[in-house]
Amino acid sequence: MPDIADNLLHDIAELRGVAEHTASLIASADDLEKYRIEFLARKGSVGQLFDRLKSVPIESKPAIGKELNALRSFLDSLYLSAKEKIEKPGGEKGQFIDLTLPGRGEAIGTVHPITQTLQDIVSIFVSMGFGIVDGPEIEDDYHNFEALNFPPDHPARDMQDTFFIENDVLLRTHTSPVQIRVMKEQRPPVRVVVPGRVYRNEAISARSYCLFHQVEGLYVDKNVSFSELKGTLVAFAKEFYGSGLKYKFRPSFFPFTEPSLEMDITCFLCSGKGCRVCKHTGWLEVLGAGMVHPNVLKNVDYDPEEFTGFAFGIGVERTTILRHGISDIRLLFENDLRFLKQF
Amino acid sequence: MRISFNWLSKYIKLKISPEKLAEKLTSVGLEVESIERLGGQFDNFVVGEIVSVRKHTNADKLTVCLVSVGKKRGSTADDILQIVCGAPNVTAGQKVAVGLVGAVVPRNQHDPAGKPFTLGNVKIRGEESSGMICSEYELGIGEDANGILVLDPSAKVGASLAKHFGLDDVVFEIGITPNRPDCLSHIGIAREAAAILKGKVELPRVHIRENAEQISKEFSVDVRNPEGCPRYSARLVTGVVVAPSPQWLQASLKSVGLRPINNVVDVTNFVMFEFGQPLHAFDGDLIHKKKIIVRNASDGEKFVTLDGIERTLTASTLMIWDADRPIAIAGVMGGMNSEISASTTSVFLESAFFNPSSVRKTAKRLGILSDAAFRFERGTDPNTTVDAVDRAASMLAEIAGGQVHRGVIDVYPKKIKDRRVRLRTERVNKLLGTNISAPSMKKMLASIGISTQSKSKGVMLCTVPTFRPDIEQEIDLVEEVARLHGYTKIEDKMMSNIDFSHRSSHGDALAQLRNALCGLGFNEVVTNSLIDQTLVKPFSPNVVEIKNPISKDLSALRPSTVFSMLQAVYHNINYGNGDLKLFEIGRTYEKVAKEIPTAFIQGYKENGVISVCMTGKRNTVSWNSSGRSIDIYDLKGVVQALLDKILLDKFQFIYYDSRSPLTEETIVVEKDGTYVGFLGKVKADLLKKFSVESDVYVSELSISELVQTQKKFKMYVPPTKFPSVRRDLAFIVAKDVLFEAIERQVVLEGGHLLKGVTLFDVFEGKPLPEGKKSFAISVELNSAEKTLTEDEAAKVIDRVVKGVSQAFGAELRSSS
Repeated sequence: MPDIADNLLHDIAELRGVAEHTASLIASADDLEKYRIEFLARKGSVGQLFDRLKSVPIESKPAIGKELNALRSFLDSLYLSAKEKIEKPGGEKGQFIDLTLPGRGEAIGTVHPITQTLQDIVSIFVSMGFGIVDGPEIEDDYHNFEALNFPPDHPARDMQDTFFIENDVLLRTHTSPVQIRVMKEQRPPVRVVVPGRVYRNEAISARSYCLFHQVEGLYVDKNVSFSELKGTLVAFAKEFYGSGLKYKFRPSFFPFTEPSLEMDITCFLCSGKGCRVCKHTGWLEVLGAGMVHPNVLKNVDYDPEEFTGFAFGIGVERTTILRHGISDIRLLFENDLRFLKQF
Repeated sequence: MRISFNWLSKYIKLKISPEKLAEKLTSVGLEVESIERLGGQFDNFVVGEIVSVRKHTNADKLTVCLVSVGKKRGSTADDILQIVCGAPNVTAGQKVAVGLVGAVVPRNQHDPAGKPFTLGNVKIRGEESSGMICSEYELGIGEDANGILVLDPSAKVGASLAKHFGLDDVVFEIGITPNRPDCLSHIGIAREAAAILKGKVELPRVHIRENAEQISKEFSVDVRNPEGCPRYSARLVTGVVVAPSPQWLQASLKSVGLRPINNVVDVTNFVMFEFGQPLHAFDGDLIHKKKIIVRNASDGEKFVTLDGIERTLTASTLMIWDADRPIAIAGVMGGMNSEISASTTSVFLESAFFNPSSVRKTAKRLGILSDAAFRFERGTDPNTTVDAVDRAASMLAEIAGGQVHRGVIDVYPKKIKDRRVRLRTERVNKLLGTNISAPSMKKMLASIGISTQSKSKGVMLCTVPTFRPDIEQEIDLVEEVARLHGYTKIEDKMMSNIDFSHRSSHGDALAQLRNALCGLGFNEVVTNSLIDQTLVKPFSPNVVEIKNPISKDLSALRPSTVFSMLQAVYHNINYGNGDLKLFEIGRTYEKVAKEIPTAFIQGYKENGVISVCMTGKRNTVSWNSSGRSIDIYDLKGVVQALLDKILLDKFQFIYYDSRSPLTEETIVVEKDGTYVGFLGKVKADLLKKFSVESDVYVSELSISELVQTQKKFKMYVPPTKFPSVRRDLAFIVAKDVLFEAIERQVVLEGGHLLKGVTLFDVFEGKPLPEGKKSFAISVELNSAEKTLTEDEAAKVIDRVVKGVSQAFGAELRSSS
């Protein structure tokens, strides 16, 4: 009776297809149980096929038995993988995974806000073609004052309270002495910025500290004019503070520049309406600048008739305080982690 | 410098609001830093006139008054208020101070604390009362509370009380830069205002009735140091009655922040703030032999100044003397011995021009800040002395009843003339980038008192008045033109070759280090480079000290960043942040022998360093790991990572170096025998000085050594195509054997096939015998040419095991 065997083989193949299709549709524990009862239970489809094995001729039994066993283990595997599929995401029997637990690993560190401001300022001038130079913090009177047209015993020296190390050696009160050092080293054109730390012998308070950082700029060449100074500062300020910026220039006094100016921008906290930060004026003073004084050019053996130039100085702490809304300059030097981590 | 708007109006017609004027002054370089309104406490107080009084029907002590308070706006009839008053001195016809409904009375005389209160419409025992007639006490201008304040009959009914008292003023605080001494007075500011507003300055008209003996017959002046005192002018006023100044004068002085003292002193102060010329008033009767001598003091001489302080003089101190003794420090401060007192009747007025630098030296040496010295050291106008002293004398005659003696003593041997400065119009325009015509320049300069004369084409000769000592050369005139033309009007031109196309962060070594450390979770700090010298000196012999520190704790420059880093650590631990990973890129400072060449200032060296600091827990505590305390290996790992990044493999660690004064467990970093820096654990005694209790690990590396070595381009080495063979070996060795020695031996024996040695376990204790430890290492073998066979690998491993065993008496514990 070869057709009994053939029929059974045909049904085995068919059941394999049906079970596979059914298993693919399992979406719940109920579906899974239905599948088990329909196919795998003792009275299920597989069991029924095994029952039919009895009537298969003896010579075909081993081959068909093997097929049946293969069918059962295939259907078992379908059952197990379906079970795994429905239990895995939060099923009551599998391992529960709380994806809301915090991630492991460490926070990335922070760059000090002073450094960030300094880098931002410097990078703008670097992109304009300024080079970067450096100078000593321990300076002599000549570079810090005399060569910069501060005569001895002149009240202009009162503008910068000085820490002295010896009678003639002091902590630089501004980055401007580097102007002298650079110009003595090279002939025009000179176009550099000087970032650095400077010191003032002033009582420490929320508004002033005994040291701060400046970015000094210097450009000397033939035909450099006040008009270009203004243009450069406006370009810088728009790049740094935003292009919608409003600004004004007013005359000021520094012994080493003439004419001298100070630049004010509209207070960006109150948009010029007046607030505590801008002392209700609507304006913030952001930098000082001017045309290099002929006496300074003479001191470095540049002919003021041939060369003219401009210089500017930007206070980094002041800028940092303004742009981050920091109320007390001392916070910058306390280095409290709760402060540092905010930047 | 405080400038009163009312006072300023004496010299120039100001048809402009104070705010607008402030803006204009600022635009020419006289920065108005603040604007203060005075007299605000008298808002809603006016001058009233009592029209009639009648007794209150229900109260004996009260009077019902009808008070006129002037015309209401838009009405022709006087506004009459009914006010109930309790003062005994109230009568019809008096001019009085009336508080209107809504006014805040500064002091309540029925309240023991004198608290202010607000007036309302009230009924007092059945009578309406709309306002209050005030006493001196209630207004806060005196202590008399016994009756109402009766004003001068000339007071204008309806005028605001502030105006009546001369208090309705606006005061500017102007930041006068040191180059503008001419602006340290109201006339000086008026001159600038006139230039901006195209107005005219009216100087005060001085009429002096000279009705006493010629001054030169009574007094003599002998200037023996004409360099220190190029001009000495004086006047004599006698018969003076010293008394409080009149109201207007007191108000003027108060408005600029001066305290009224008496009419004589007040007049000299007034004239100083008017002309900018400091005056000094001596009691003429106290000038011995009526002789004034201007000459220097001798070294060590003592002198008591007006403030009662005894000063020690030097041979360079210029003094005013009488026949026997010094009576004033010239231009700085007068003396007690010739001071104006209540009994003074004779006033000798000094109006001099002293050498600015001489005054400055003296004032600075003695530490005296006086209004006079402030002006003299910046430079007063030598040609104003007589105008100023005339003005003061006439005022004394007027308000102190004095008689002005005929003539002025004026010792002025060498007249200081107006300066002549050449100005080229082309130069102005070239420097400013403008196109201003010569006639406009002339007009601008004329507006500030500089007359011009055309010399040749494009050149003018400018005559600069002596009140502008700051204008010495052409560039100073360029600035005058620039500021009067207006900075705003000058075009904002770009530098011809600016463009932003190359904007990039410049990738220097420091930025690399900074990024690397941030990536490793470090926070950058910026610390104070000034520190307490007593803290650092025990650790460093060459500390740079500050001669004039603000305070003891900021009295030296740090010899190492470790000190300032410890301050940051202390601060954070105090605030509950004990787990710290910090770094700083900064400088250290040291004194070196003068002979040693340094980059800049002889005798001093500055070193750029990067310092790294770790303390507290290694990892932040998380939900399935507890933090382990940081140890030296954590810091070593970080430093190694940095050095790997910058120095590649050129550095060596030198162990067991005991030279570091700051740390123990110190490892020194060298590069080809040159010192780069160190790392270690901060010594306990140093921690104690900073009140830090936890272990702190620090490293300080020289930036110049790091950066010099950095290669611009790193050369690529292709990785091998063949698989590596790994073998793990555990050696048991004596406890004191260093890992570095084992590693060196392994590398030596391993030969060219050995590509890496990794230590993965260090073990001590049972079951190992006492005095032993085990190092478990993983060895990686690899060939660039082929896949290594078992045999080839085994040969190398055998060599390694044998070599290590022989060299250290090591025993192979296990291998796999």
